[in-house]
Amino acid sequence: MDNISYNEINDDVVRTMTKTTWKYWALLIFCASMAGVLWFGAWAYQIYAGQGVTGLNTPTFWGIYLANFVFWIGISHSGTLLSAILFITATPWRRSIYRSAEAITFFSVLTAAVFIFVHMGRPWNFYWTMPYFTTRELWVNFTSPIMFDVFAISTYMTSSVIFLYFGSIPDLAAVRDKVTGWRKPVYTYLSLGWRGTDAEWHWLSKSYTFFAVFIIPLAVSVHSIVSWDFALSTVPGLNKTIFAPYFVVGAIFSGTAAIVTLMACYRKAMKVEKYITLMHFDKLCMLLLVMSLLWSYINVVEVFSGWYANTSAENETLMYRMFMKPHAYMYWLMILTNSILPLLFIFKSLRRSIFICIIVSIGINVGMWIERYLIVATSLPRKFLPNMWHDYIPSLIEISMTIGSIFFFVMLFLIFVKLWPSISIYEVKEDIGIPMRKGFKRH
Amino acid sequence: MNQPVLGLFKYVDSMVEAAVSMKDTGYTVTVFSPIPLGVELDPVVMRPNYIRYFALFGAFIGLIFGVVLALGTAALYVLPRGGLPIWPVTPTLLLAYESIILCGVIWTLIGFFIIARKPNFGKQIYDPKLSLDSFGLLVEDIREDKVEEVERLLEGFGADEVNRVEKS
Repeated sequence: MDNISYNEINDDVVRTMTKTTWKYWALLIFCASMAGVLWFGAWAYQIYAGQGVTGLNTPTFWGIYLANFVFWIGISHSGTLLSAILFITATPWRRSIYRSAEAITFFSVLTAAVFIFVHMGRPWNFYWTMPYFTTRELWVNFTSPIMFDVFAISTYMTSSVIFLYFGSIPDLAAVRDKVTGWRKPVYTYLSLGWRGTDAEWHWLSKSYTFFAVFIIPLAVSVHSIVSWDFALSTVPGLNKTIFAPYFVVGAIFSGTAAIVTLMACYRKAMKVEKYITLMHFDKLCMLLLVMSLLWSYINVVEVFSGWYANTSAENETLMYRMFMKPHAYMYWLMILTNSILPLLFIFKSLRRSIFICIIVSIGINVGMWIERYLIVATSLPRKFLPNMWHDYIPSLIEISMTIGSIFFFVMLFLIFVKLWPSISIYEVKEDIGIPMRKGFKRH
Repeated sequence: MNQPVLGLFKYVDSMVEAAVSMKDTGYTVTVFSPIPLGVELDPVVMRPNYIRYFALFGAFIGLIFGVVLALGTAALYVLPRGGLPIWPVTPTLLLAYESIILCGVIWTLIGFFIIARKPNFGKQIYDPKLSLDSFGLLVEDIREDKVEEVERLLEGFGADEVNRVEKS
């Protein structure tokens, strides 16, 4: 980044927000339409016709919606957690990518949260999960892990939004100073009257550090709590003590893969290759390699501890997941995409190949979705009593909403890029260094 | 009369030298920059960290809120289950943990708003170049007969541009 000037950074970031090609609009409209039809259209039909249009049955009360919920919560671990850890450890390569990564967090938590409403069947009764005074003196039951979830996810979403917005204030002010028309008053208000005084920077930096410190344990707790939705039950295949770290590792793994996929597309589409460089992909892919090895280790532990326990119910769940159609195909595809393909990143040249990065990162997220699906769809249908066994096959409505959620997420990201400085202006300037008479000084 | 003067600098070290000199002379100085300046500003100003008290207060409030919510709802709507306590330990700890973080984050934000006096949409001294590539030094509390001297000094320290400014 040595040849980039401070002015150029402002110009480039504001350009990503103000200059929009027809292809961008077309993609945005396409994603919005697909999300509208595939997700919200299907959801409206489900509300009209009832939960009977899904493949849910007795004993499989949780299906693909819960798998999607866990998957999107997992994706959310990319941004805020990674950003906070890299901030605390003062890792310089964080600066170009963290803003978009934090946005990914917010949008994926939002997508996950909508799946809770979808799964509820009667979403208008959501307020029943909130503690409030009623004339019937009914109170929510906090002994349920589902209630842990409500609080954990509300806290995570609130904190992630604050973290994203707070770190953007100086950049919103920079945008305010460059734009005209309707954008001017919008960014004037969003930037809260920021001027960049020494006092403002000081308090921003101190507060941001505290946010990062709060966010790291929060993110770990959120996915641990999501895992307890399953692990605190007595269902074979779900009742595992290793589920919390398994979910957290899986979340960071899938989240980082999502960053790689989106950043590869974003840098090309927005022509910001000079800010998001091959070095960023190199570092992210190294992280993917580490997470893949960790994930594989935990996956092996999960299988072997079940095998070693040698109870009939546990054995049945393992056999059903690993060797019986159609789940066996999915299981071994997951092993291929999550344990074997990421090994390509041992080679530096492959870590710096955008094509390989995209293929492997998409593969990882396909594998991670399968992992979440198999957790739900291979344990509940094989509970203790064989007379209760009932296979689960997702209906077209459920599949439609699953695909629709991807379009919904992409649509939100496309809107974000146009409304928010998606690369941190002031932190990229820090990357260049502080201008001194004898040249730039880097921290 | 207080006529503030704003000097725009290309280089941080020039600006810091000017700021130290102005401060030693008795003027009030404010530094503007498009990026956070950490140790570079130590000769000009050292600030304490009051934000920590807000974060701590928020965390404490969160702890109380989480515990009271979990125990209170259990007490208000009793669900007897064989062998299990009415006041559950694990959910109480979990709720307290989440509330500590939530309230800690919210109070840190409130702390920032209070200490940094944000939002502030009133008239302020500012130049849009300060969010681009210029480092600004605002000198205030200057007697009318000293304004030109301050302007000359700022130029002498290497300011590219020196302006008499008003709040706008």
